[in-house]
Amino acid sequence: MKTAQTIYQEGSHRWVVIARDPSKPDCVIDTNEYLISREGDNLLTDPGGSEIFPAVFAALSTIVDPMAIRYLFASHQDPDIISSLGLWLECNPDIRCYVSRLWSTFIPHFGGDENSLAAIPDEGMSMSLGSGQIEYVPAHFLHSSGNFHLYDPDARILFSGDVGAAMTPPEEDELFVRDFDKHIRHAEGFHRRWMGSTEAKLDWCERASRMKIDMLCPQHGSIYQGDDVMRFINWFAELPVGLSTFRHRR
Amino acid sequence: MSNKPTHKTSSGELAGFVRLNEGIKGVVLIAFQINIMALNAILLAHRAGEVALGFGVISKELRSLSVELTALMQELSNDAYLAVNLISDLLRQERRYRLLKKATDLVANPSPALRDVMVRREEEFSLITQRVREVRLRLLDRLEDARKLCQFGTAISRSAKIEAAYGREYGRALAEVSQEFDQKIQNILPSIEALCTGMQRR
Repeated sequence: MKTAQTIYQEGSHRWVVIARDPSKPDCVIDTNEYLISREGDNLLTDPGGSEIFPAVFAALSTIVDPMAIRYLFASHQDPDIISSLGLWLECNPDIRCYVSRLWSTFIPHFGGDENSLAAIPDEGMSMSLGSGQIEYVPAHFLHSSGNFHLYDPDARILFSGDVGAAMTPPEEDELFVRDFDKHIRHAEGFHRRWMGSTEAKLDWCERASRMKIDMLCPQHGSIYQGDDVMRFINWFAELPVGLSTFRHRR
Repeated sequence: MSNKPTHKTSSGELAGFVRLNEGIKGVVLIAFQINIMALNAILLAHRAGEVALGFGVISKELRSLSVELTALMQELSNDAYLAVNLISDLLRQERRYRLLKKATDLVANPSPALRDVMVRREEEFSLITQRVREVRLRLLDRLEDARKLCQFGTAISRSAKIEAAYGREYGRALAEVSQEFDQKIQNILPSIEALCTGMQRR
């Protein structure tokens, strides 16, 4: 079963990561879900696919009542991100799922309707969570054409969706990156193939480098913290990505 | 949800309704051929005049039968479509139920709200199962009507053979037509029987 671990806490404001499910089927990619709680408002990022819903739900229940989740955020439209939406809506029909406007008519194939989906405009937006604010930061074409990250300026945490993701072998599957150089090898192939646009990548790196980020939390793999955050941004900025690298491999 | 059909049986049921729809297409095709044949037979009887008056009446009956059979098959097809939709929904509900149940089992103390969700799921599941049952019964009734219609068709196609014997110089042509009528009707009956058996088995 997945476990829940608090990675940030300041009063009632906290971030909890739901990660590492040793019992999941091998055919299903492992994912990190993040719960952001503030004064009783709960938001879950990239709640995951249907098949991992029971594990996420159970792990969350050790921290909060999962029925009290009020908001979901889907960085993009992939099934490992949001195909569990219908199940979350079964538990709480009032849940609101924030997603790029591009996908607001696609995601209802997983469940929900115009009342349960809140479309984020291309330029991004802020929303209140408890007494604070969180920001939906554009990350289009990284990798989806309608893609957002979530920034919590008070916690200085950026949930970066697939950016920063790594396919680590089980023996190196740590929650936090310990050895950047060793870790980043497991991120390279993924970023080369999945991040299709150099322009979008550089745009994101430029913006991310101006943000105050203590932790960069991807949807797969380990969390970058401290100096590793900027190390990652610099590494990503230098990494050749997209179709040109794909052609080189033929 | 103890007496609910499993995912496997619902999938089997779905396949059964899809097969039914394919069988219906076959019957509709034969009914169309009977209709055209009957139209030609009416014209032939008209040409033959008084000697084929009876044959003409029978041909009109066969034409009405083919129209009625086509309409019945359309109703069956609508029901089969409805059943496919319901069973698809049932399969979706089953999957959702399985995942919610797994979540409930993993949680140490499931909240009353979560238990309510499970109860609602079960109620909805029972409702859809009941609707599938109703559609299947209605389909069986319609298939029974179709079988009776074909039995009537068999009887009148035999009468056509008898009437053809009075056709004098048109006798041969009328006999050929009546033989074809008989063959077509005989082709439909096994299809209808197979559809009935397929539905009853579930």
